[in-house]
Amino acid sequence: MATITCKDVLDRLDSWMGDDPPSDVQAHLHNCPNCRSLVDDLKAIRREASSWRAEEIEAPSRIWTSLKSQLEQEGLIHENGRADAAKTAWFGGWLAELPRPALAGAYLALLIAGAFALSRPANKQANEARWLAASEDSTLPLRAQLTAEQDSFASFNNENPAVAASLNKNLAIVDNYIALCEKSVQEEPQNEVARDYLYEAYRQKADLLAQMTERGENR
Amino acid sequence: MITSHFVCERWTWNKNWKAATLLVPSLLLCGLASADPQPRRQEQHFKVEAHPVITIHNPNGLITVKAWTKAEVMVISNRASDDVEVDAEQMGNRVDVSTHAASDNVAPDDMRADYQINVPEDAELQIHNDSGAVNVANVLGDMNVETVAAAVDLEDSAGYVTIRTVGGSFQCTRCAGKLEISSISGNLRLTDIHSIHVHAQTSTGNILFSGEFLPNGTYRLKNYSGLIEVRFSPSDSFDLSATSLKGKVINEASLTPKSHQQHFYSRFGNSLFGTFNAGRAKVELTSFDGTISILKRD
Repeated sequence: MATITCKDVLDRLDSWMGDDPPSDVQAHLHNCPNCRSLVDDLKAIRREASSWRAEEIEAPSRIWTSLKSQLEQEGLIHENGRADAAKTAWFGGWLAELPRPALAGAYLALLIAGAFALSRPANKQANEARWLAASEDSTLPLRAQLTAEQDSFASFNNENPAVAASLNKNLAIVDNYIALCEKSVQEEPQNEVARDYLYEAYRQKADLLAQMTERGENR
Repeated sequence: MITSHFVCERWTWNKNWKAATLLVPSLLLCGLASADPQPRRQEQHFKVEAHPVITIHNPNGLITVKAWTKAEVMVISNRASDDVEVDAEQMGNRVDVSTHAASDNVAPDDMRADYQINVPEDAELQIHNDSGAVNVANVLGDMNVETVAAAVDLEDSAGYVTIRTVGGSFQCTRCAGKLEISSISGNLRLTDIHSIHVHAQTSTGNILFSGEFLPNGTYRLKNYSGLIEVRFSPSDSFDLSATSLKGKVINEASLTPKSHQQHFYSRFGNSLFGTFNAGRAKVELTSFDGTISILKRD
């Protein structure tokens, strides 16, 4: 049997990742602890990602409201007379009642969904466009939600000026961080480090907005 | 008779007047006391059993927690004004301390309370303090500290420590146990660390790690920009992975290169992978455009 290299194993991951590896890969894995460790990690990630999907994390009502509103604007669905009242009530209603962990959890669920969409194996240069498209597909709705959330804090002002200043300053930092990461992902769609930083920045922004929500409510 | 009556009446009036001079200030004092049911400084003691839980919620102020050998919790609070109230109450083996507004429209400077709290060594702490500072010393139980702008200073801890700040800095000296720290713009300074699990992350802050890399330990330091500085001693043993996507990696360790460069990250940015001595600990340093320095400890 011809021996294969670590690079061969990586290049061929796509073809067998869901099944048992071919015999030559198995032989390599048997002798190469690094590749074996890597493959074990990837399998663990796949299993974990599958379980997330199986659990069908419930998106918060605002996501559906937002989607519904978008579909109405595009003329794809029509709303009855309650629509306007619901639209004006949704933000002040459920957001005021939504606890911070639920808010952060909802964002996290979106991030996980986005990360899962991007976790599909595609490690060849020919797939760069697909990576970029997948990145945009998974981040656009999230970005829109975060922007909408942020707009509601245009006049955010906590009783404590030090807290308000810190939250606003750090929101600006994270926004800048997101912009730079997005640029990097655009330039190098396959760069896992850049994508990892981008998702981390989104997570931080979601958490920061959740903290602002909580403190805004407590005023 | 008249005279005597007059004298008697005057005597009575004089007696009443004297009584009034004593009573009126007393009543005024009582009135003031009822308007301010809590003195500004309060000291409370709570008997607790092993592994008590102490929760502290404070919007602004200095919180100092120290361990002592007594099986009790002592809470000394100092309110900045009468517009805030301090509650400290015991529920079983838990002591909850909180500060809240006593009226609407409290001025920001008045919405402040400082605490000095003594707890048993094995106490578990949960502290929320938006601004001000949090200092904890010699507490060996688990602790969770969340702040916005408040700096956190920890000394001689041994439990599972999780710290989250937005802009507050974090300093940890002689900490063991597990450390998980995250911040957005706070600087993180970890010195004389003796821990097998250190995860520290800040976006724009600097991270300094100076301590032992224990066998089987994992040390993951990550920032976006700023400096990550790690100081090692010649006897340390670790497997190193350092990547700065757009910044520099400066290394003073004589690393043995890895035989397999299977790491995905190596294709992008400036990366360094290698083993120092037997590679018993795992050290992962990641930055987006910051500088990573791996330097010899003096």
